[in-house]
Amino acid sequence: MSQEHEHGLPPKSSVSRWFLTTNHKDIGVLYLITALFFLLFGGVLALLFRLELITSGADLLGSMGYNQAVSTHGLLMVFWFISPFAFGFANYLVPLQIGADDLAFPRLNALSYWLYLFSGILMGVSFFQGTTFAGGWTMYAPLNTPAYIPGEGLGATSVVLALIMFTAAVTLGSVNFLTTMYRMRAEGLRMRDIPIFSLSINLTVWMMLFAFAALLAALMILASDHILGTTYFQYSIDGTTMATDADNPGASLLWAHLFWFFGHPEVYIVFFPALGVMAECFQTFTGRRLVGRKWFIISMVLVALQSFVVWMHHMFLTGINLPIKTIFMATTIGISLPFDLMVFSLIYTMAKGRVRFTTPFLFSLGALILFIIGGITGVFLGAIVLDYQFRGTYWVVAHFHYVMVSGATALFGGLYYWYPKITGKMYNQTLGKIQFGVYFLGFNLLYFPMFLAWETPRRVFVYPEGLQIWHSMATVGGFVLGASFLIMFYNLFVSLWRGEDVGPNPWEYATSAEWAVSSPPALENFPGVPSYATGKLEFLDDETVAERTEGTPGAAAHGHAATDGGTATDGGAVTARAAATATAMEPAHEVGGEEHASHASFWPFLVSLAGFVTFLGLSGVRTGSVFYLSLATVGGIGTFGSLLGMTREPFHAPEMAIAERWPFERVEKMKLGMWTFLASDIVLFGAFIGSYAFVRVAYGWTAWHHDLIPAEHVTMPGLINTYLLLTSSFLVVIAMVAAERESKRGTVAALVGTFALGVGFLINKGLEWQHLFHIHTEAFPNGWNLSTNIASSTFYLTTGLHGAHVTIGLIICAYMTVRAWNGAYQGDDRAIEYFGLYWHFVDIVWLFLFPLFYIL
Amino acid sequence: MDWKGYTVIYVVLFAFATAQAVVEFTGLVDSAYWVAFALIMVLSVVKAVGVAAYYQHLRWEPRAVTYLVLGGTVAALALTGAAAYSIL
Repeated sequence: MSQEHEHGLPPKSSVSRWFLTTNHKDIGVLYLITALFFLLFGGVLALLFRLELITSGADLLGSMGYNQAVSTHGLLMVFWFISPFAFGFANYLVPLQIGADDLAFPRLNALSYWLYLFSGILMGVSFFQGTTFAGGWTMYAPLNTPAYIPGEGLGATSVVLALIMFTAAVTLGSVNFLTTMYRMRAEGLRMRDIPIFSLSINLTVWMMLFAFAALLAALMILASDHILGTTYFQYSIDGTTMATDADNPGASLLWAHLFWFFGHPEVYIVFFPALGVMAECFQTFTGRRLVGRKWFIISMVLVALQSFVVWMHHMFLTGINLPIKTIFMATTIGISLPFDLMVFSLIYTMAKGRVRFTTPFLFSLGALILFIIGGITGVFLGAIVLDYQFRGTYWVVAHFHYVMVSGATALFGGLYYWYPKITGKMYNQTLGKIQFGVYFLGFNLLYFPMFLAWETPRRVFVYPEGLQIWHSMATVGGFVLGASFLIMFYNLFVSLWRGEDVGPNPWEYATSAEWAVSSPPALENFPGVPSYATGKLEFLDDETVAERTEGTPGAAAHGHAATDGGTATDGGAVTARAAATATAMEPAHEVGGEEHASHASFWPFLVSLAGFVTFLGLSGVRTGSVFYLSLATVGGIGTFGSLLGMTREPFHAPEMAIAERWPFERVEKMKLGMWTFLASDIVLFGAFIGSYAFVRVAYGWTAWHHDLIPAEHVTMPGLINTYLLLTSSFLVVIAMVAAERESKRGTVAALVGTFALGVGFLINKGLEWQHLFHIHTEAFPNGWNLSTNIASSTFYLTTGLHGAHVTIGLIICAYMTVRAWNGAYQGDDRAIEYFGLYWHFVDIVWLFLFPLFYIL
Repeated sequence: MDWKGYTVIYVVLFAFATAQAVVEFTGLVDSAYWVAFALIMVLSVVKAVGVAAYYQHLRWEPRAVTYLVLGGTVAALALTGAAAYSIL
């Protein structure tokens, strides 16, 4: 295929292809390979500390070595392996399953991947900065703050920054997937009809959008405690003991709330894609559409919603009050009910169909069995009284792994299921089944003894002598589990060359759209524009598309489709029809020159590399080291420059001519992407404001103002800034009006006014801060700065985050002003409107910060 | 919406912001804190809704966009409310 048809991308055999690509299938493969690398990284660490636990005591790794290995293992597996592994499949398959030619924002997708990769590298680099973070994957306060970290703690700071980078990647990915799934579904494809794996990804990204925003807030605050010296998560030290009645009594609980508000949805964020894979495999290998499919979907939706109201069951042993514990016990028990329904749906699907015990099915069935055990043992932890006994023991470790690793088990099934699609080759099925046997044996030998040794304290390398037999068994199990992966890697690697070639669909009864195209699929996925308008998958040629769109652009949709899970009687027929249609069409789809514009971009890689350098520099700036300061400076300039380069690069990814877009038919993709991002930003700011409210309630709401805030902190600077921002918002809408009227002068004048008022806002804030930093009063003889007390920390950090948003807005505004000066936007105010959505949001946030931080 | 409509909204927002400061200047925050708190926060909510509805054009977008925004808002309020209640 010529370069033109490859969207300007070099061939796959070229290394440069993998740095330049923005194609969803390439990115999917990159995710899969990178996630498997982090599986090995985290797995080797696990084997090391399992060796340590053969006998009680830290005689192999040493105490800090053990703590680092355990903490990093948890962080790597939860963040850098499981979810990215699932999103490797999501990247590759969701566009194929819904009938799109790529994700809505291909470069953003590449940026997500590179940020993910470099965040993992930063995690690895943290080992070389003295010690990495060693306080457990939940990073509880105050052990996550510099005062409680041995040595300089730079490695720990790098871990916090790596997590921020990872979270940024996740947020971009969430925006991208949601926009894609609501704007780029094939004609006739209702949301409820999309294949179950894609549906599971849809609900996963909804949870990610909100949950990771709360984590981002927690991490930004923690990074500020590390780098800027704020005191959100710090206890005061009274001699050698922690003074729990210090000026910030909410510190430790605040972290727990923020972390678990993210952390519990994270369990389902990890598990939902696995559930999707299980459902796909159960359907294909039983030849039966999922029994109670509608109720299965409703259950998933319920779990996604409920996942945000169960987080305090992780805090039953803290000082939160009994009524709230009782409420959260009830919600926790409630969330198990939809899961019961899903489990029974999968079991009945097996019972009603004819099971074929292929490798993917064995892994899916194994995952179901492990999940049932994990689920049942989790009910104990959801009951307050039992949790008092089990919390902080190996019962939690065993339960947690039965749930999370059962998810990973299903994903390995997914790897075996879609490997032929991705590579065009079939692997050795016998070796696959042998791997499953070794894997399942190793898994249970590793984790089941932990239930029996449950009295072992979690994260501690010392345990009672009588439990040694169980720990020894677990260690043997760990190595058996690890060995099973050698079989998998050998099998899959060798099959790349020696495997039999496969056609579009190697699995009988597999009916989702990816099986209707070649293996691997062509760059543009489909040999025409996919449509389900007639109730089955068809590929429309350009003429038909032109006819359908004439007069009603983007119009779509009549007829509904069964897109996955063919029954024993009709599944094969659907496949055959789809495959026949696929092979009958020409492989190359020509719609016009525009679609063949270059989709190669080096900027996502460069932005991420520069971001990595910046964060590495930031990890050490508190030491005043020239090396770290230089890294931060160079990285910052590089990040800004590469972002500018990316903005100026021509990159065209047009909306689909014909697509199903409910419920966002009239919201074009850029606007929907912006709104989705803002929804996430609402949670970010909400978590910052919520943190302020929480620590203030903990301290005493009304005493706060009198005890902790100087009299010099007055209302007027805040009021002036309110006027400035409101006026700037007004000018943005006036710029829109002027652009619509094609008044270049008016557009430029309004944008310049917006910029000037934004700069005025920052200057006013700067003057106010300078004043407060340097006050000398009896209560605050050394000024009122970031570290003075918890009130000053919340004030500077929250308004500082807002100021950073203003600064970003000003950079965009300056760029747009120059473009408007050169004649852009006349007659088309959409770009100004999208910028306005962001700018008005910044305005709205201030409307709450002003009263909370200046009046009340 | 034309520039006149936007201007009316701007004037209302400006007046409400001033009203919030007036609540403080009149001493209500000191004499009846929670009354002042409620008054000021209600004014903030009204202003925020005004900006979102008219400047961000939510009023003219499909309802699904409003639900998207409300989703984020409810999540943030749930976290704040439940967390604060847990230590009362």
